Amino acid sequence: MPRFVFLLAVVALTVAFGGELAPVGGQATSGEYKIGVLEPITGPLAFEGKRHVEGLEVVRDLINERGGVMGKKLVFALADAVDPTAAATEANRLITREGVKIITGTFSSRLCGAASEVAARHNVIYWESSCVDPRFNARGLKYVFRTEIDATGFGWYNIEFIAKHLAPKLSLKTNQIKIAFLSEDSSYGQGVTESARQRAKNEFGMQEVMLEYYNWQTLNDMTPTILKMKQLNPDIVHHIGFGNDAVLFWRQSKEQNFLFKALVHAGATGYGGADFGKALGNDANGVFALLEPGPGFRLEALKPEGQQIEKAFRDAVQKKTGTYPFGAHQLAGSGLWLLKLVLDRAKSDDPEKFRAAVMSVDLPVGSMINGWGVKFSEQGQNANDRVQHYMLQWQNGQLVTVWPEEFTTLRAKWIPLGAWDQRK
Amino acid sequence: MTGLLRSRRGAVILFGLAALIPIVVRDAYFLDSLVLILLWGALSAAWNVAGGYAGQVSIGHASFFGIGAYAAALMVTRFGRGPWLGMLVGVVLSIGAGFVIGFLSNRLKGPYFALSTIAFSQVLLIGVSRWRGFTAGAEGIPVPFRPGFATLGLTHVGWVYMALAVALVCHAVEVYLERSRVGYQLAGVREDEDAAEALGIPTRRLKVGAVTLSAALTSVCGSLWAQYVGFVDPTYVFSVDLSVRFALNAIIGGMGTALGPFLGSILITSLETYLRATFAGVKAGFTGIYLIIYGTALILVVRFVPDGLAGIATRLRMRRAHA
Amino acid sequence: MDPARRLGSAQIGVLVPLAVATVLLGGIYALISVGLTLIFGIMRVVNFAHGEFLMLGMYLAFWAFYLYTADPYFVVFVAIPLFFVVGLVVYGLVMRGVIHASHNVQIFTTVGLSTVLQNVALVAWSGDFRFVRPWHLSTVLRAGSTTFNLTQVVASFIAITLTLALVAFMKWTHAGRVMRATAQDRDAATLMGIDTDRVYQLTFAIGIAAVGAAGVLVAPLYSVYPTAGLQFVLLSYVVVVLGGLGDMLGAMIGSLIVAAVEVAGSYLFGVAWKEIFYFILFILVLVFRPAGLFGQRGAETLGV
Repeated sequence: MPRFVFLLAVVALTVAFGGELAPVGGQATSGEYKIGVLEPITGPLAFEGKRHVEGLEVVRDLINERGGVMGKKLVFALADAVDPTAAATEANRLITREGVKIITGTFSSRLCGAASEVAARHNVIYWESSCVDPRFNARGLKYVFRTEIDATGFGWYNIEFIAKHLAPKLSLKTNQIKIAFLSEDSSYGQGVTESARQRAKNEFGMQEVMLEYYNWQTLNDMTPTILKMKQLNPDIVHHIGFGNDAVLFWRQSKEQNFLFKALVHAGATGYGGADFGKALGNDANGVFALLEPGPGFRLEALKPEGQQIEKAFRDAVQKKTGTYPFGAHQLAGSGLWLLKLVLDRAKSDDPEKFRAAVMSVDLPVGSMINGWGVKFSEQGQNANDRVQHYMLQWQNGQLVTVWPEEFTTLRAKWIPLGAWDQRK
Repeated sequence: MTGLLRSRRGAVILFGLAALIPIVVRDAYFLDSLVLILLWGALSAAWNVAGGYAGQVSIGHASFFGIGAYAAALMVTRFGRGPWLGMLVGVVLSIGAGFVIGFLSNRLKGPYFALSTIAFSQVLLIGVSRWRGFTAGAEGIPVPFRPGFATLGLTHVGWVYMALAVALVCHAVEVYLERSRVGYQLAGVREDEDAAEALGIPTRRLKVGAVTLSAALTSVCGSLWAQYVGFVDPTYVFSVDLSVRFALNAIIGGMGTALGPFLGSILITSLETYLRATFAGVKAGFTGIYLIIYGTALILVVRFVPDGLAGIATRLRMRRAHA
Repeated sequence: MDPARRLGSAQIGVLVPLAVATVLLGGIYALISVGLTLIFGIMRVVNFAHGEFLMLGMYLAFWAFYLYTADPYFVVFVAIPLFFVVGLVVYGLVMRGVIHASHNVQIFTTVGLSTVLQNVALVAWSGDFRFVRPWHLSTVLRAGSTTFNLTQVVASFIAITLTLALVAFMKWTHAGRVMRATAQDRDAATLMGIDTDRVYQLTFAIGIAAVGAAGVLVAPLYSVYPTAGLQFVLLSYVVVVLGGLGDMLGAMIGSLIVAAVEVAGSYLFGVAWKEIFYFILFILVLVFRPAGLFGQRGAETLGV
């Protein structure tokens, strides 16, 4: 028994770790600079994680065409973060095995929390491009940064749109608006919805008629909720969907002939994802989604350097994927571009120098991909008012930019939505 | 004492190796894998107390794991106290949950019991996901890392010894159940409950006791895990996948043996981390292969080698003795 | 306080659509559970991999739709013989050896099978969520002011037909009687010259064929992904336990009960809580009346 166990243990450990005891593949290759990319490539979030990787690859190639980072070619060490344990383990591996000093990712709030903790422990820079958990930057970690605004910013923008743009067109005063909140229950949905609720009530006095959360993966039927909502008769439905739940709600609302004046969503998933349009075709007409800019966006509204890089980015994505950039591409890509700008300034990946460079960047709206500006807070969060967001609307199979009006040539239609089969 | 050590040579070697490695190897990724092996092993050993030794096969042990993880995380983030206190609270709550499951084990047999344990873990999952005000709901809780022993902010080496300590405790409990009178009675309950009852063994109490003990140990591991990984979210910590994982390590390694769970964990965790590291990127989908191997091994082991790896070892030894 | 509860009499007008939703949902759940009822009832094996066969059926519908634009209503006719064969193969490879083994062995064999199938799907087809959206998915039938989604209606209709067919099969054919006899008393059946192995083989194959077909039919209504089986397997077990051991009509009623609990719970308390109600119902039934609402008392402690 003992001999066998011993042998077994040794064999198993050797086989498993033989590869791992191999020399660390650090920043050895001259002329290359490696960063870690941690995204969910398998598992339930894979459909977005893979788009993030695409966006990153596109911008990486753009960066390398323009001289790379710190004079070296930018390369990725890719890792799959399928769940929080894997995210932490893989972050560990990127740091100790691949020797990266910067990790970027990670799309989902479940994953970015665990991974950034690991990075912080090793004094490795964590450059988050899209997880929207409001607590991410509230942990006092010095080298953890986020380029996208968090969910509370989305909620803020949504209500801005409803109050300033929709209300007048509906001939309603903001405190007359009846609004129903429906949302998937991850930290993304919760963050957006809670911040929207607060602003709606406190600043504009809107009447909240319903608040419901659900699990988007197991949801299979929204009929009871829709029937309830018909009774409550809201003017605006604020629905944060993540995947098929958006399709389900919209389709079943039509089935039940549930009528309301507008639906507002935020983010690149659910209503803001390509799949929604594919699933519903022209039936999707009228839905509003807060996103990065889409067709109709006036490049002229951007600053010159913003115009250049935005155009290059769009062309590259079109070439690689055959489509206009989706939200996932735009978030990941802009995050990486901003990383390059910072590294160019810092000329080093030493955490303190890096941080100083991050804090020193101050660009107005219109300077970057997506028409963003840049200004980081002390907590490492890019500011709400710099990360300009836009309201897009599904019009005949496309998500087009409709607001703010100075940034686009197109205008919103179907306000109020009217009957289901009247939205042409 | 030496007699005990001799008969437990396998364990001594295994844990001894684990204790020595951090002295020699300092690579953080390696140590991380070692911590995970020990922790998953300890969790499977805890499961084994109920499943292997008492014969109460549960596929809902994630309930206790999740309770422990949340107790530790909430104690730190919401109440501002230390994770050790959270661990204690988690143990108390898990014992309570263990009583419920134990009660179910007395009413239900075999597959019905297994199903009820799954339902229990899912009820907890949904409940915690919805209780946004207290548990932060489906958002999960990020657990801050603060260096120090009281806050369980350990170094990688520190974590290895922490996981080793827990593994040893779970192992010791298993050994106790193999050698003590209680253990023999429990074996009787496992093999033939009616006969045991006829012999005057307090079967109900023993079953509840075993499940509760198993729950407490699982909860402790859950609390440690929360501090180690740094993020607790309900869809993961209460998942059926995790419950299945605890059981499978034990079965492949040898259900009802003390070392089995750890053998199973070595094999499976190593395979998993190796595959994930190798296949990240283009062929990321291949990381699922380890689970296919795992599942197939389970089917084969449970049918042809019910004693698992440890059983193979014992049989080899016996054959040698008789040769 | 949930505003919905303040509405009072206005809710009466909602009862009809809610009832319709219940019946349609119940039909789908029945379709998914009918195969399990058969396997569970006759073989007394709790097949934890049941959801995975459903998932495979869903993928079949997806790939047929994606590659050949084949409508699920046609694919189902291919699915039935296909999954029947799959059932035979799985029985021969996996189930035959454990049918006489202890519960633990059976549990873990099927759990292992479930793990294998889930991950084969994951490795082969990735974890991306897929969708089957045939033209009739958005079609609704209207009767008065109530709407019925066509896909759901067809699925429910097929569920009822299938269940009735199986009931008829069990009652009036020789094979059916043989199966029932084996279910009642395995040893006596053997003594009567029944080849129990053949019976189990047939039962399993029919059961898998049923669940595979169910997967094809429900694919348009849900997302298709490797772990889709999990939410259904738990649900199916609730249905089967409620309905009682192997009682197919009981399972249909069980489906309606589960659907009613889900729909009522969603409406009154919010869709967030829907699953919790039937899980709690499940645990309560297991504790107080484990043989189900229609089954034999004491079956669960007799070791099934």
